[in-house]
Amino acid sequence: NKDFLDVPPLGTISDAQLNTPENIEKLIIAAYSSLGNDHYTAPNSLWPYGDLRSGDAYKGGAGPTDLGDFHFFETFVFYSPDNGLADIKWFRQYVAISRVNNALRRINEMDEEEFPLKKVRQAELKFLRGHFFFDLKILFKHIPHFDETATVDDINKAGNDLSNNELWDRIAADFRFAAENLPESQTQIGRINKFQAKAYLAKVLLYQAYEQDENHNVTGINQDKLNEVVTLIDEVIASGKYKLTDDFAEPFLWEFENGPESVFAIQRSIDDNTPQGGRVDFSAMLNNPMNPEFGCCWFHIPSQNLVNAFQTNSEGLPLFDTFNNNDVKNVQDLKSGNIDPRLNHTVAFPGVPWKYDHNHIYQTNWARTVNIYGYYSSLKENVSPDCDCFVKLPPFMSSSKNTILIRFSDVLLWKAEALIELGRHGEALPIINRIRSRAASSIQRLTLPDETLIGNYNISMYGSTGWTQDFARRALRWERRLELAMEGHRFFDLVRWGIASEYINNYFEEEKSKREYLREAYFEKNRDEYLPIPQQQLNWSKNLYEQNAGW
Amino acid sequence: QEVTVAGKVMDEEGNLLPNVSIVEKGTTKGTITNLEGEYSISVTPGVTLQFSFLGMRQKEIVVDGQTTINVVLKEETIGLEQIVVTGYQTQRKADLTGAVSVAEIDEIEDLPPGNIMKNLQGRLPGISIYTNGHPGSPATIRIRGIGTLNNNDPLFVIDGVPTKKGMHELNPNDIESLQVLKDASAASIYGSRAANGVIIITTKKAKSNRMRIDFDFSATYQQYENHLDMMNTRERAEVAWRAAVNDGIEPNDQLYLFDTGVDGEGHPVLNGVLFPEFIDPQRTMRPGDTDWFDEVSSPSLLQSYNLTISNGNENANFLISLGHMNNDGIIKGSNVERTNLRLNSEFRFLDNKLRIGENLQISRQAEVLIPSDDIMFLALVQQPIVPVYTTDGGWGGPAPGMSDRHNPVRLIEDNLQNRGTYVRPFGNIYVEAEPIPGLKLRSSFGIDYGMHYSRTLQKSYRSGFLSEPNNRVSNSMWFNGSWVFQNTVNYDFTVQKHTFSLLAGIEQIKHNSEEFSASQRGLAIEKIDYAFLNAATELPVNGGSGGRYALQSFFGKVNYSYDDKYLASFTMRRDGSSRFGENNRYGNFPAFSVGWRVSEESFLDKAEFISDLKVRFGWGQNGNQEISNTAIHNLYIAQYATNATWSPDGGTAYDIDGADRGELPSGFRLTQQANPNLKWETTTQTNFGIDFSLFNSQLYGLADYFIKKTEDILISPPYLGAIGEGGGRWVNGASIENKGIEMVVGYLKQVGEVQIDISANASNYKNEVVYLPEEVVNAYGGNGRDKNILGRSINSLFGYVHDGLFTTEEEVNMHVDQPGKGLGRIKYVDVSEDEVINDDDRDWIGIGDPLLAYGLNADITWRQFNLKCFFQGITGIDVFNDTKIYTDFTTVQGTNYGRRTLNAWSESNPNSTIPALSLSDNNNEARTSTYFMESGSYLKLRNLQIGYSIPPSLLSKYSIRNIRVFIQGQNLWTIKDKSFTGPDPENPGNGYPIPAMYTLGVNISL
Repeated sequence: NKDFLDVPPLGTISDAQLNTPENIEKLIIAAYSSLGNDHYTAPNSLWPYGDLRSGDAYKGGAGPTDLGDFHFFETFVFYSPDNGLADIKWFRQYVAISRVNNALRRINEMDEEEFPLKKVRQAELKFLRGHFFFDLKILFKHIPHFDETATVDDINKAGNDLSNNELWDRIAADFRFAAENLPESQTQIGRINKFQAKAYLAKVLLYQAYEQDENHNVTGINQDKLNEVVTLIDEVIASGKYKLTDDFAEPFLWEFENGPESVFAIQRSIDDNTPQGGRVDFSAMLNNPMNPEFGCCWFHIPSQNLVNAFQTNSEGLPLFDTFNNNDVKNVQDLKSGNIDPRLNHTVAFPGVPWKYDHNHIYQTNWARTVNIYGYYSSLKENVSPDCDCFVKLPPFMSSSKNTILIRFSDVLLWKAEALIELGRHGEALPIINRIRSRAASSIQRLTLPDETLIGNYNISMYGSTGWTQDFARRALRWERRLELAMEGHRFFDLVRWGIASEYINNYFEEEKSKREYLREAYFEKNRDEYLPIPQQQLNWSKNLYEQNAGW
Repeated sequence: QEVTVAGKVMDEEGNLLPNVSIVEKGTTKGTITNLEGEYSISVTPGVTLQFSFLGMRQKEIVVDGQTTINVVLKEETIGLEQIVVTGYQTQRKADLTGAVSVAEIDEIEDLPPGNIMKNLQGRLPGISIYTNGHPGSPATIRIRGIGTLNNNDPLFVIDGVPTKKGMHELNPNDIESLQVLKDASAASIYGSRAANGVIIITTKKAKSNRMRIDFDFSATYQQYENHLDMMNTRERAEVAWRAAVNDGIEPNDQLYLFDTGVDGEGHPVLNGVLFPEFIDPQRTMRPGDTDWFDEVSSPSLLQSYNLTISNGNENANFLISLGHMNNDGIIKGSNVERTNLRLNSEFRFLDNKLRIGENLQISRQAEVLIPSDDIMFLALVQQPIVPVYTTDGGWGGPAPGMSDRHNPVRLIEDNLQNRGTYVRPFGNIYVEAEPIPGLKLRSSFGIDYGMHYSRTLQKSYRSGFLSEPNNRVSNSMWFNGSWVFQNTVNYDFTVQKHTFSLLAGIEQIKHNSEEFSASQRGLAIEKIDYAFLNAATELPVNGGSGGRYALQSFFGKVNYSYDDKYLASFTMRRDGSSRFGENNRYGNFPAFSVGWRVSEESFLDKAEFISDLKVRFGWGQNGNQEISNTAIHNLYIAQYATNATWSPDGGTAYDIDGADRGELPSGFRLTQQANPNLKWETTTQTNFGIDFSLFNSQLYGLADYFIKKTEDILISPPYLGAIGEGGGRWVNGASIENKGIEMVVGYLKQVGEVQIDISANASNYKNEVVYLPEEVVNAYGGNGRDKNILGRSINSLFGYVHDGLFTTEEEVNMHVDQPGKGLGRIKYVDVSEDEVINDDDRDWIGIGDPLLAYGLNADITWRQFNLKCFFQGITGIDVFNDTKIYTDFTTVQGTNYGRRTLNAWSESNPNSTIPALSLSDNNNEARTSTYFMESGSYLKLRNLQIGYSIPPSLLSKYSIRNIRVFIQGQNLWTIKDKSFTGPDPENPGNGYPIPAMYTLGVNISL
């Protein structure tokens, strides 16, 4: 009886059944879903890769062995190619890419009569693919790159031997397609539009402009690319779709999400019929403090060096050379010194309201391992426990606040950076001052329960006197650090500029006297600029992949 | 002059035995007993009468003037006449040619009734049983090593019905016999699913021709023997201070106020520790000194009751058994309650030419769903300063500066109301016809069902800085089960000295499974009697899925023996599985075995000390199909979201509208790549065996040597990341080989009124990964370059080699470049000899297979007393003791530490092997290294038992057949290796502890 053994699979849908316009739209949603399918083990907010490796943040948690793989990101010295968390991140990027390619492959087969939005949806998907490859690129440098036509066999045979520049070209091509084919606006907030694509393309070109040799040394800056960056960003600005919010606090408050400063964000949600009660921000799930309103796990802790960088001189300008000579440690120091207000939007200090909420004062006992990592906490990704966006997902907790991946001030600063490297630093000055001016006016929320200001805020604009290219570059780099602190960008800035090794080893030299666990930390030049290709991937590729230089 | 001798033949319990053959030795003259067990025979005085009965030890009696000879036959449990169930048929042990282990049920029948397999640990050579002390945990059984990379569980065959579900819910009291088919020649008749060995269980049938009632009761006191030695509040403070001082950092800690000074040499000293009035800002927790292991455990009671009623005559027999067990675990709150009902009956028609019968059991097992693994972990790490309760009667919990670790007592109390219930109907009905003697036609329809139901209430709580404002009720139910339809023909016949036994059959199995679950939040009252889904108001979540597969098999077997001397057996089984694609759906699994009973040869007639000697050889193949039901298909599923607590959400929903809440659009995801070319995994096994019995069967034993090689192992290997989602694919990938030796030696002797029965067994195996596809060769350890698992045991561990601690500055300076090296730090060996310690210095550092596993059993009977004693052990095994990160180090902050840290290395304690205390782990000592490797060897006194049966003469006037009382102890004494730092090498992690058990029991038989 042959039929007896013919048992169909249950509860599944076949490949062919998916090729309808309705199901393809659903596959596109599945591709978007990858944005929010990140996790503390592989966050799309990039905090472990961008902040822990830059001197801006400590890992935090219960000590060096708690998520120890991230500890090795931070200290470099014991980092090994079999680091499991790097491998997870690698895999998650390709999971997202496979969803994009799966949907694209099916759209390509449809004609526009049947699927009128064909071009638009292709463009959205290519944007997403560009994004996931971009993060892979800045993490691992030499990655296998392929498009939707690649079969499993092709992918098994695809090496990672494309040149640095060629990889950038391919990533840029996806964003170019998106920029050309997307409408200026979409009715659904989460859908990608033309100006998001232009902004992201500008980011890609800015990275590509800093040409690198195989040992990750920056060998030159491509002026054509920089010019294109400026042009693209001008188009984004001219569209009027995006602007700086009045108060620096707003991009980091759930009540203002999808506001004008949010150029590209992960849409998080709550009470959405998912098993745990929300597709909340799983990337920040470990980053809450330890008080009863939260309870876990105090990761992503601002470094003392970062805190000190927010000091200003009596004129309200940064202490470029002397900022780390003394530590800003407590509320008294905030009051006695001169402080950039963005510090209190970024870093929780004991005795200061948590997320501007006078009912919740951050205390030293909200911290976890003070012996090791000090007393601070990170504010930007976190929310008030009273927020309607907040939910406990035992044993963790998080919120439905969106995760902004591109913020308009970031875009403005790319333009300023491009202008400076083009020798047009004069044009960069008003941009940087616009950022500083917004910061200066963002103090209304920074009050103690007695309604006095938390700190002695003193921030002013740069004057045109002495605004040389060198000075402008220094000011720009400083501004990026303060404006975008703890948002996962810093390490990639340092590598792009070609200064990672000197900068980070200098940081270790100073910080290890305050933080014993950094004693052995060391950044190996021409190696640690990029993570090695994960050992597991080398194995499964049967050593088809070539390991990055230095590893 | 012939005389007439008459009498009755009965068994040890006084049951009269019909059909006992009585033969005058050396002749063919004889008779049999009638239904009342009576016989009568005329013989010449001086002859010897042989009384024999299938399954009983033959008895010889010299007729020496008696006219009445009543005989009691004893059941044969080890000798040649013993009947062994070998798969769709039975065989005399003397005729066996495969490797079969037979459990001596009477040796274990008094042991606590949790799970019979746990009680068999160490008693059968080549069969490893891994377990813990959880009252509901199944035992993990491995026969002849790990043979595959997927499911290694053996196949169970209970009264002829095969199941892969295991049998921990079977009532041990119902078991009549248990045998294990270990090699392929024995197991091949079960073909496709027998590669991991087959455990055949036959349940009790009515034996006597009259009403019989058995009642058994036992009570077992269980006790937590010893746990990890953790610190008290003051000790932990002192160690925290020392660790900080060693690191050169300010020893400020939110929990402690240190009174410090400086000694004569300028070293900081700790004069004392003060504790705050309250450890939490809410001022509800006073510093405690809690011993969490004491708080979560307590001695417990296991009770067992069994009632069996049976009766029978020539037309029918029946047996009803009712069993109940209530097992409180030694972790508070853990409990398993099990009720078993069995009905075995047979009806005979047409002068026993047609038989219709059934074996049916239904069991219900209810378990309190205490998260015992979490509780054990929390008892280890929760700090002693945390009080169990707050001053206002709430739950104590972690305070500032601690990790987010729950109060384990709360976890117990808040889950006491949660139960899971498992109901398992299992059994068959059969029709058996025997139209002519020796020809049996049998048709059997069996069911193997399991249904699980649970309703749980997760309460809201506040415990230290941990809190959960929401409660939730969850319901879940799953069903899975098979029906099994078997049709067989057996024909046994003898032509002169040629004895044949033929078997042919067909078997069909269909398996179905379905499950669903639902949960909802927002209960107004947190009581289990209120907590139904209808009473909950917020956030309903539900899910469900199903699966199906089918198996179809054809098989045949020929057993042949010539003159009881030359034995041979041939088996062929052809199995089809719906899990494989059309081209490879069927697999053929042949086997043969031969035996030579050397002792029957005339040239050994003079060697009278040889009672029996048999050599055996077997070869055969088995299959394995333990893969996903749908492995041959490319599959997409609709997946809204998955639980993202520990790994990323695998769902497809996205808030594309930016609405922040409400139902989201979602899509599909690919779950796997198809592999239409999948085929059966095949295990080929060769077995050499010898059975012997010497000095009138006083000394007996056996030895087996096997080579077991599994090829085309079905694996779903990790795959190239770039493929992305759903890149997993089942393939026929690896090869593994196990080689080993098994031995049993026994001694049986009657000395006056003392009967001694001693037996010992020992086994060893060597596991070797022979082949792996190139892309996964590094997935089982190794460095991805020159070192991989090939040629090694699958249980090998890879890591750094440590060489003690640095004890002098000179040693530190002389050592190669090791980041973080220093006084009191672990010294790692420069394996690659490149003057630097890095990845390249990892090597193979341990094997998790025992070199030798052994058991020693002694059973001594004197008059009405019986003493049993059983030792079991393993030796030459490495275990990776990762709890050492808590017992030996202070780098995991916020937890308690082991008392071993009090003895950490320091300049004033230079001989310590425990690294100097540090909070920072700058030497990366948490890395996998030999520091964590320990010897898992042990020898345990598993069982010591004394029983007493009241003499029948005292009972007969009350028509009581038998009363027996016994006391026994289990896990009474352990010898472990000095290097092992945990409490129990059998349970080397920090899992549910294995208790010591003391049992008092009574058996009454009417």
